[in-house]
Amino acid sequence: MKQKSISLITIVVLFLVGLFMPFILKQYHLNMLTEIIIFSLYAVSYNLLLGYAGLLSFGHAAFFGLGAFVTAIAIIHIPGISLWNVILIGVAATVVAGLILGGLLLRHKGSYFALLTLAFNALFYAVATKWHSVTGGDDGLSITRPNLALGFTSIPLSSLTTFYYLTLVIMGAAIVYCWYFTNTAMGKTVVLMRENEDRMKFLGYNTNISRLILFTFTGALAGLAGVFYTFHFQFVSISAISPDMTTAILLMVFVGGTKIFWGPILGVFVYVIFQNYLSNVTDRWPLFMGLIFVLMVLYVPGGLSGVIMNIKQRFFGKKNNNGDKTAQAEEVIS
Amino acid sequence: MSDIPVFFLHGLAYAGLLFLVSSGLTLIFGMMNVLNFAHAAMYMVGAYLSYTIIMQLTGQFWMALMICPVILFIIGALVERFLLRRVHAQGHLGELLLTFGLAYIITELVKWYWGNYPLAVNVTGFLSGSITIFGFIYPIYRIFVFFSAVLVGGIMALILYKTRLGIILRASVNDSEMTNTLGVNVPLVFMGVFAFGTALSGFAGVIAGPFLSTFPGMAQEILIDAFVVIVVGGFGSLGGAVVAALLIGQLQSFGVLLIPKLSVALIYLLMAAVLIIKPSGLFGEES
Amino acid sequence: MRNYLHIHNIHKDFSGLQVLTGVEFKVQEKERHAVIGPNGAGKTTLFNIISGKFKPSSGAILFKGKDISGKPPHILNRYGLSRSFQITNAFQELSVFNNILAGVRSRYGLRYNFFKKPNQNREICEKVDAIIKEVGLTDVKDQPASSLSYGQQRALEIGITLSTEPELILLDEPTAGMTREETNQAIKMIDQVTAGRTLIIIEHDMEVVFSLASMISVLHYGTILVSDTPEKIRNDQRVKDAYLGEG
Repeated sequence: MKQKSISLITIVVLFLVGLFMPFILKQYHLNMLTEIIIFSLYAVSYNLLLGYAGLLSFGHAAFFGLGAFVTAIAIIHIPGISLWNVILIGVAATVVAGLILGGLLLRHKGSYFALLTLAFNALFYAVATKWHSVTGGDDGLSITRPNLALGFTSIPLSSLTTFYYLTLVIMGAAIVYCWYFTNTAMGKTVVLMRENEDRMKFLGYNTNISRLILFTFTGALAGLAGVFYTFHFQFVSISAISPDMTTAILLMVFVGGTKIFWGPILGVFVYVIFQNYLSNVTDRWPLFMGLIFVLMVLYVPGGLSGVIMNIKQRFFGKKNNNGDKTAQAEEVIS
Repeated sequence: MSDIPVFFLHGLAYAGLLFLVSSGLTLIFGMMNVLNFAHAAMYMVGAYLSYTIIMQLTGQFWMALMICPVILFIIGALVERFLLRRVHAQGHLGELLLTFGLAYIITELVKWYWGNYPLAVNVTGFLSGSITIFGFIYPIYRIFVFFSAVLVGGIMALILYKTRLGIILRASVNDSEMTNTLGVNVPLVFMGVFAFGTALSGFAGVIAGPFLSTFPGMAQEILIDAFVVIVVGGFGSLGGAVVAALLIGQLQSFGVLLIPKLSVALIYLLMAAVLIIKPSGLFGEES
Repeated sequence: MRNYLHIHNIHKDFSGLQVLTGVEFKVQEKERHAVIGPNGAGKTTLFNIISGKFKPSSGAILFKGKDISGKPPHILNRYGLSRSFQITNAFQELSVFNNILAGVRSRYGLRYNFFKKPNQNREICEKVDAIIKEVGLTDVKDQPASSLSYGQQRALEIGITLSTEPELILLDEPTAGMTREETNQAIKMIDQVTAGRTLIIIEHDMEVVFSLASMISVLHYGTILVSDTPEKIRNDQRVKDAYLGEG
């Protein structure tokens, strides 16, 4: 109980700090922060799949990119469409895609599932590249953000600051819900299935349906992040749906650590800042990305948040007495 | 439509190359249960190495065809011994991520050393000629690609099903602990399999050079096609890889001829169809 | 009279190997029915079929008059049927409480809810605590399953089986590997927790069988040799032959 109120206070404090950021940061950094918040939802949704359900997907960018492209296409082809309807259409498209892909691929597990998701991500990418008349192909699509209609009034989102606030509220709410989700019946069911799927069947759980629901749910969250990605840059290119976008998220989540809910967000911060810095000094970014992967797998499989938890445990010594085996498992399970 | 035979031959040649790449991949997966994302990067190394050997050092295609697989064999053995084995305990997630990271590192290093542009590898002598089949003049090299795949596939089948080594290999797959207690050095077998699979990708890289040209995106391009081959054929099945490579080779070739706009999607449609009808692949065992 | 559970002419073969060849017996409501038989007679296979893990090659399983053969395990569980495993099949990393919670909340329909937190439901938590008490694990309820002693693990296995409040319980060798003393305790516990429910139990230990069962079926080479009361079974020549024949 105590831990939960601490988390709640943390969320409120973070939100308040977020409210003040436009007064402190320069445009360049506020831009970066907006990007970080959007990627945070993308990363958190991916970790629900990887860290909680134990499903390694190499196709998460298919959903992110689909949300991003549907957003741009809707704004271009439906004049005067409202912001809310754009979001609705973007998320609905990913839900449909999630159900179809999930139905097709979730019969497989482990490496096989990983490979199939990669292949289908490549399909989405190929379609986006070739279907020039709709997606703009290599040129991408440019849009302007619709205004934010609130019933009684309409707020223009053309300035970065107002858009930043919208991002903070909606992405923030989605992330906080994800955190809440991990403690709900469904959130627990997913973890139990990872631990012992066989037994879950004998306890009345339809594990196939559960997996499909989770896969679609995380896909829709990634789609929502994709919608905001297009809003943010007012542009979408095929890189949003490319397998490299999956790699990026995998790296962020893995660097941050998959065992703790907040780990991936830490990973996003490190990744975005690191990449901004490194791409200024070297054009060999992919080489560093590969090196980070290999070194992390070899030496820090728990990610940065795992390291932090270990240090915390060493200094404060006290183990969480929730009963589940490790502090890490406790974060994920209880 | 009169050039259908030519497209058929194109399809055969591409099928040969696909088999060479995917057989190594499926061998490693079947034996070690490791999906090697770095496989196509190794293939790229083979291709670029062959450029140096053929175009800069010796001028001999055959030399590259002999040396490159040996070098890749050594690289594969080192990767297995010093990297892959260390993360084995982390389960397939660690192995996947490791090979995934390696793929990036290798691809970047190749670009760094050889430059970020296509390189042409030319064959000389008999292989550079053409012959007349079905009334068409056709490059001998493409036919050579196909027959080298037949030869490699034949040798692999002989080793796996006719020798003592093959028995040990197949036993290691079924029950590595049991085989271990029977006095077979399973870690050594795994190292050998990984090294051999990598050597195969190197061989495929040498073959690919004069056929598809050597360029920075070659790894990614072949990786997805090779994945589709093993999904359609069935994971870990050598026979499945043969059939699937032939199918996809023809599909690629005739796809470009008949419906150029949709040709990329065709192999995915095939894969989706197989997944719906027989999820374990055409020759895969039902779990 | 309608039978509560009727195992009718069940056959099962694994790629040609015939394991069950026409198993036939009936179980009445609230009965405690033991299935005994030498090793390899097919007892666990039979359980796997009744509980939905395997599909029978042919035959029918009539539960309250309805054929349930070939239905998936999660559906059977919702019909009120629950099984234990011979080798403890728990969520090893989780606490005893969370192990039991998984089943209890399933029974209460809290399986896939995206908003409700199961451990904030008083009724569910009380039910979990009650089951933990029944199987005698209250002292260790916050410890991970993997840290429990062997006897406690077996008790947890039974606890998980009970957690969905089944009316028909299948126990697969619940006392296997226990000491005499642990076994006696386990018998007492099983006797209590299954009161008022129907029980089918596979057991090697004859003492367990004769102290719990009201009916006994003897499975021998894939078929039921005889199905009768313990007294009759004790004196049945065919049973003696089957067991003595095993040596």
